[in-house]
Amino acid sequence: MIELLQITKKFPNQTTPAVDLLSLSIPAGEICVLVGPSGCGKSTTLRMINRMIEPTSGIIKINGEDVKNTNSDQLRMGIGYVIQQIGLLPHRTIAENIAIVPRLYKWPKDKIKKRVEELIVMMGLDLEKTWGKYPSQLSGGQMQRVGVARAMAVDPPIMLMDEPFGAVDPIARTHLQDEFLRLQKEIKKTIVFVTHDINEAIKMGDKIAIFDAGKLVQFGTPEEILTNPINDFVENFIGHDRVVKKLNLFHVEEAMQPVGCMVRENELHSAAVKMKAVGAEVAFLLNETGKTYGHITLTDFKDCQDNIESLRKMVQRTKKAFVQTSTSLPDALSLLLEYDVDYLGILKGEKLLGMLSFKDIRKHVYRKEGD
Amino acid sequence: MDFINFLTNNTGTIVEYTGNHFTLVLQAVSVSLVIWVPVGLLLTKSDKWAARVLSLANTIFCIPSLSMFAILVAIPGFGLGRKSALFALVLYAMMPLIRNVHVGVKSVDRNVIEAAKGMGMSTGRIMREILLPLGMPIIFAGFRITVVMTTGIAAIATYIGERNLGRFISEGLVRSNTPMMVTGALIISVIAIGLDSILGAIEKRIVPRGLRI
Repeated sequence: MIELLQITKKFPNQTTPAVDLLSLSIPAGEICVLVGPSGCGKSTTLRMINRMIEPTSGIIKINGEDVKNTNSDQLRMGIGYVIQQIGLLPHRTIAENIAIVPRLYKWPKDKIKKRVEELIVMMGLDLEKTWGKYPSQLSGGQMQRVGVARAMAVDPPIMLMDEPFGAVDPIARTHLQDEFLRLQKEIKKTIVFVTHDINEAIKMGDKIAIFDAGKLVQFGTPEEILTNPINDFVENFIGHDRVVKKLNLFHVEEAMQPVGCMVRENELHSAAVKMKAVGAEVAFLLNETGKTYGHITLTDFKDCQDNIESLRKMVQRTKKAFVQTSTSLPDALSLLLEYDVDYLGILKGEKLLGMLSFKDIRKHVYRKEGD
Repeated sequence: MDFINFLTNNTGTIVEYTGNHFTLVLQAVSVSLVIWVPVGLLLTKSDKWAARVLSLANTIFCIPSLSMFAILVAIPGFGLGRKSALFALVLYAMMPLIRNVHVGVKSVDRNVIEAAKGMGMSTGRIMREILLPLGMPIIFAGFRITVVMTTGIAAIATYIGERNLGRFISEGLVRSNTPMMVTGALIISVIAIGLDSILGAIEKRIVPRGLRI
């Protein structure tokens, strides 16, 4: 746990403080994203945690211990640090770069070698090909991975990341973010993450701290911030698509409803009767092997005037309209529009667990909004 | 023929003068390295002082060498001889050495230093493992200039009593002794070009491998 108590940083020759009486408590094992426009003091705050910058006043505690009580080099050795420009040593190989902090800790050579190999593999890099290369021979995305690996070399409990994925192209960035989130589920580090991109903040953060002009404006989970922006600044910073962004926080399994009616392929003609009997609007179809392959709605029956051939065509049209439970709501919404259907079947593996309509998405968001 | 005769008849003197020339250059370069490299490194800590010292070095560098020797000789305690010669050469070496050490270290990517510091590397370690190796190509270029320049200016120190290869030139001029003059000029040139070539070859190898790829 990292605690910042009444931190102020005033740089010489500046009239207003870069960070102004900031208090923030970052829980262990979570990603806390500091986000705000440039010059809002988020990077300065990050750099005060490992004493790259000394605060003018205030106390920073890590696990209850004032950071000033530890020698600054010792302190930094125990905290992973990743910066946007990565800063790999150009005259050292990738393996040597990753081994920097273990060497500072004077680990034995074979232990270092083992750890470096482990990290290169963990970062999804080719061990044989990457090991002996120099930084200039890697792509931006690969260098960024090496940067993260280097910061994790001695498995520090805390990592500070200053726009770590800022310098790579959008596709590589999404990829790195996803991988890092997956990794974080296992390693459970306490991470302070700086970005100016609110979307990245919403995606990466367990908690988000929004900064403006050296002050903490709002602190909370992404959901809290998207649901109740505290003032106009936060609302503007999040953007007008606040509610759409909020969809990012949910997966289809949270918004879906149970399937009311299932019919076999050969019962298609009588599906309408069955639906009415159970009060359902839609029925999912099973083939001979018990696999769902599409759905049909009461409206379809009206449109086709019970013509069985047209009904089959309607069902065929929906055969792609299935997603897995882990799909995010924006993706599901996009698919509803793309396939021009009213329902999506929600699968876990091959098994139909539920279904999702526009109405369900609206209801889910509305319910969350009302909380 | 005169030239060959001169060489064979004065072998002893040539060896002595060449030896003196070398020792003066060696002493001057060694002392310069010991003094100016640390000063250059120290100046990377303060831009204000770096500007001041560099402009002083530039001013000294502008003083013509004959004037410099004359001034030093006039200062009590220096007088004619090695002390003044050495002092002047070390002053001349100030500019190329300090400037190149300063530029070399300053040219190292700030992000690399930031990352190293953030990982807990001490200032000394950053200097040894990052600033020096990465700044080395530029620092070494300054060293190379210093060696060649010192070899040349050392010849002029003959006017303040140094018995070195410059003496062949100055005496040759006075006595209108062409072979003597040519001998001095040739040997000094060969030494300067030779040293520069050797250092040039070393310079190529001194670039860290990761920067050459």
